Amino acid sequence: MNFFNVIRWLAWKDLLSEMRSRENISSMFFFALIVILIFSFSFSTDQQTARELMPGIMWVAFVFTGIIGLGKSFTAELQNDCLENLQMNPIPRGAIYLGKLASNLLFMLIVELILFPLFVIFFNLDVFEKIPLFVLILIAGTLGVSSVGTLFSAMTVQIRAREVMLPILLLPLIVPVMIGAVEATGGLLRGDPISLYRPWIELLIVFDVIFTIVSFWVFEFILDH
Amino acid sequence: MSGIRGIQLSQSYRHYQVLKDVSFEVAQGECYALFGPNGAGKTTLLKLLATLQKPSSGRFEMMGHDGIRDRNRVREFLLMIAHGSYLYGELDAVENIRFALALRGLSPDAREIKTALDRVGIGAFADFKIRYFSEGMKKRLSIAKAILIRPKVLLMDEPYSSLDERGMKLMNQFIRESTGQGASVLMTSHNRVQSAEVAGKAGVLFQGTLRDIAVKDLAAAHELF
Amino acid sequence: MMIRWIRRFEGWFGAAGAVFIAIGLYYGLAASPPDSYQGEVVRIMYVHVPFASTSMTCYGVLTVASLWYLWKRDPLVDNLAHASAGIGVFFTAGALYTGSIWGKPTWNTWWTWDARLVSFTILLLILIGYLMLRTFIEDREREARYAAILAIVGAVDLPIVHFSVEWWRTLHQPLSVSQRGIAIAGVMLYPLIFMSIGFYLLLTYMIGVRTQMLYLKQLLEAKRGRLLGEVHS
Repeated sequence: MNFFNVIRWLAWKDLLSEMRSRENISSMFFFALIVILIFSFSFSTDQQTARELMPGIMWVAFVFTGIIGLGKSFTAELQNDCLENLQMNPIPRGAIYLGKLASNLLFMLIVELILFPLFVIFFNLDVFEKIPLFVLILIAGTLGVSSVGTLFSAMTVQIRAREVMLPILLLPLIVPVMIGAVEATGGLLRGDPISLYRPWIELLIVFDVIFTIVSFWVFEFILDH
Repeated sequence: MSGIRGIQLSQSYRHYQVLKDVSFEVAQGECYALFGPNGAGKTTLLKLLATLQKPSSGRFEMMGHDGIRDRNRVREFLLMIAHGSYLYGELDAVENIRFALALRGLSPDAREIKTALDRVGIGAFADFKIRYFSEGMKKRLSIAKAILIRPKVLLMDEPYSSLDERGMKLMNQFIRESTGQGASVLMTSHNRVQSAEVAGKAGVLFQGTLRDIAVKDLAAAHELF
Repeated sequence: MMIRWIRRFEGWFGAAGAVFIAIGLYYGLAASPPDSYQGEVVRIMYVHVPFASTSMTCYGVLTVASLWYLWKRDPLVDNLAHASAGIGVFFTAGALYTGSIWGKPTWNTWWTWDARLVSFTILLLILIGYLMLRTFIEDREREARYAAILAIVGAVDLPIVHFSVEWWRTLHQPLSVSQRGIAIAGVMLYPLIFMSIGFYLLLTYMIGVRTQMLYLKQLLEAKRGRLLGEVHS
């Protein structure tokens, strides 16, 4: 009872703050935009190669913006020592994790959904009937990044050199997410039959389930001695 | 059963022992004022008691519960008022109070919140974002929060800092009211005059060791340490 | 208790390891014939395989020690975890390095996106991240706790990395390079066995010494802290 309340209040608090300041989403969005532009310029861009590179570029941009958002998520809790307050309250640590995960996931998804039309325009994609499946891949991939990411951002926010340590720890671990998401997106956009890229979506879902559970379990040791 | 009991608490950081076998007792309905030079370990002691850090050795009890093993039980009793105000900048005063109380499973109605805010003299700023609050106003808001929570154990790190004359009076009023209702209060302070008004017991923490002094000597003594 | 045990026996492990490796080197370099397919190049195997298996063992020790630490909170177990991560960097880098040397003549490339290579690289990155993380935390207790969490999450991740890369490879490049299939038999088995045992003894010795060093360093810090406290008061 109290468990779900805490999740709800934490997510509500993050959402309300974001709606007022628009700090996270706007910085994530513009950063992603710049990453995409830089990538597009640095590869030779005949239509065919561009299309083949596009899933990779897209997910690199998404992961980078995710790291920006994840970093900000817990630095906000450091102001006025709010993180200490969460530690001192008699609330389940897992609920704190899920609350923060919910808001991180939501912010990333919002940015990704704003960015997606730009990809359609830049890369001349033909996607309209594929959107439901695409959204599924998007959610599965993003949950993979943010489940581990929320854990590590709670960890790195309390140490020195936190801006550097978050990507250093996070990126090697999410290699399977990157592979799975890029392959699945590529298959979908090429118009492959679904049986070819379904294993990748399954890989993403397995990763999500495993790491949400593992992070949920070890989060207790991050906020508590 | 005493409110707070510290038993030979020690804490050391890598190269330095901050606290050495600190033992003390605060009865229910009693206020203990802790003095000491900067860097004597006052805040460290409060952080140990607030379950934020684990002591290197020794233990403590709150309302008869072990503070390390039963820390989730202890967290239900205690409230800390410290330099970090535990407030979120983008939320307004009322929202912050709602959030803080929700973490304890409380949901006060609008009237109760209004009364508490009026009592600490910031009723007029109820819908101002905390970002625009001064330090003193934040401290008053912390008092309002504590009034609504009614904790059994209050830990206060320099409660009088950044408060004006009227604010200090409010603080003392609140402390007297809490002890009157049986709460134990442990405060660190540099303000002997104000502390002497409410404290029933006092001690000086000097280079990690604690010694008791009489409250009536507080105002008279030339130098405490 | 445990530290005394380490102190008493580590020297024997070191000495025995040196003997085994010496015998293994003799067999591997002189007393065994070249492979019928790979020729002299096959001799790299006698160091590469032990490097690879010891580095995985290192991560195994790290994982077990980390779980144990979170459970019992024994600082010595944390020292053990810390030591095996540090030593693990050495053995993992060794495995990658010798693998790369072996890959050049057999696969005709220093590097390929093979599942084992990629997962060993990720393993190395996690270990380096682990050591970096530890240097950035002031508080001892928190340092040990966070490091243990990273090690455990990494342990869950590594098999998934391996499988996903393997899948990815088979999809993209249906094995253009032949597997290093060698029918290991007879004379070639001796150097491999001696080297492997030697490497494991060496690993035990190194982890023992390093654990002890870290333990003593911590003890020294604590003692110095107490002395400092006395000097000040």
